Amino acid sequence: MSDAKERVYSATYTRVARVGLDKTTLDDVAKEAEISRATLYRMFPGGREQILRETIGAEMDRFFISLANAIADASDIETCLERGLIFARKSLLEHAVLQKILTTEPEALLPIITIEQHRIVGEIAQYLVPLISAEKDRLRSDLDPARAAEFLARMVLSIIASPGRWDLSDPQAVHALVGEELLAGILQPRS
Amino acid sequence: MALTFAPEKDQVRADLELPVIDGTNDGIKERALIATCECIARLGFAKTTLDDVARAAQCSRATLYRYFPSKAEMVRDAVRAEVMRITRAIHFAAQEQDSLEDTVVAVLLAAGREIGEHPALRYVANFESERLLPHLAFTGGDRFLSRAAKIITPCLEPYLGDKSNRAAEWIARNGLTLWLTPTDAGALTDPVALRAYVREFVLPAFTSEVKKSKIQNPNGRL
Repeated sequence: MSDAKERVYSATYTRVARVGLDKTTLDDVAKEAEISRATLYRMFPGGREQILRETIGAEMDRFFISLANAIADASDIETCLERGLIFARKSLLEHAVLQKILTTEPEALLPIITIEQHRIVGEIAQYLVPLISAEKDRLRSDLDPARAAEFLARMVLSIIASPGRWDLSDPQAVHALVGEELLAGILQPRS
Repeated sequence: MALTFAPEKDQVRADLELPVIDGTNDGIKERALIATCECIARLGFAKTTLDDVARAAQCSRATLYRYFPSKAEMVRDAVRAEVMRITRAIHFAAQEQDSLEDTVVAVLLAAGREIGEHPALRYVANFESERLLPHLAFTGGDRFLSRAAKIITPCLEPYLGDKSNRAAEWIARNGLTLWLTPTDAGALTDPVALRAYVREFVLPAFTSEVKKSKIQNPNGRL
């Protein structure tokens, strides 16, 4: 990603944090990033809409990169998922800008998150494939790691955003969720 | 086949906080709720007015106002009536089955069909997703899962007993993600792919529970 684009994302994020999504205009972003309107349009032919979508996408990437870093040294897939879920849920609840926009402008934010989510599912799945493959002797015999990774990525995203009955601040609950539900179809049952 | 899991109609109503439609309105309320769905399917949520609904329901605006003080309340009641109808379709599909696997597949297929082919929902999902997503994502997702689990739970009780609600939420979550993020691995509209997906990823989460607790279904097989 170019530095200029990075600067636009950071400027947009600053504006959104201050005034919200709807009130963030292209002029605001131009002023905040100290880039002319014309240059902005050259960089983002889709204008304001593209800038907002890419900024949210970049913030989601940042979120999941920090998640990947937090679990980088996990020794097995269980530890990776358990620590990842706990860390991600905590970060999500502590993400002040996200929580604010979810309360004040969900109708503006959620369609963009949903579009970006398709890409994020693919990226999480790619991250998970080698972690699943590394468990080779413990996997169900006919398991396709790519298919399993895609399933896990979708479920993990869903659980982080909407944990439902699960309390993700409780390590024992997360242990049960990972062992009994998420990995039940992926690892061989323990004898 | 005698199955005991079909809940009493009124119980479902109470569980889902559905409106009780009384018999004194000559069917105008029902007609208006159906007309609301028709109008949303045609015009979208934002553009549908009480006038449109009155015309489609062939009643006067004044009559409509007697039952629904506002568009918001009319739409809310229409949604509740549709949830009720979809619940019945899911329970009916489950009643026809006699194994846990068939039941899970039937529940997901029925839900996928009812939701995916719902004309009004389809319009809103395609063109006004900002109206729909707050009910499906983040805390809206928690509410959706809890309600969907309530609907699915009775279908599982013959096989899973008191583990049914937890399994129901797991099934609902799988259904929700397959609906929102369709994939090659499983789609709610393809019975063969869906069955493979259910066998591989959905059932293992609770079939060990069945063996452990030795809960038998009425036909004695899993």
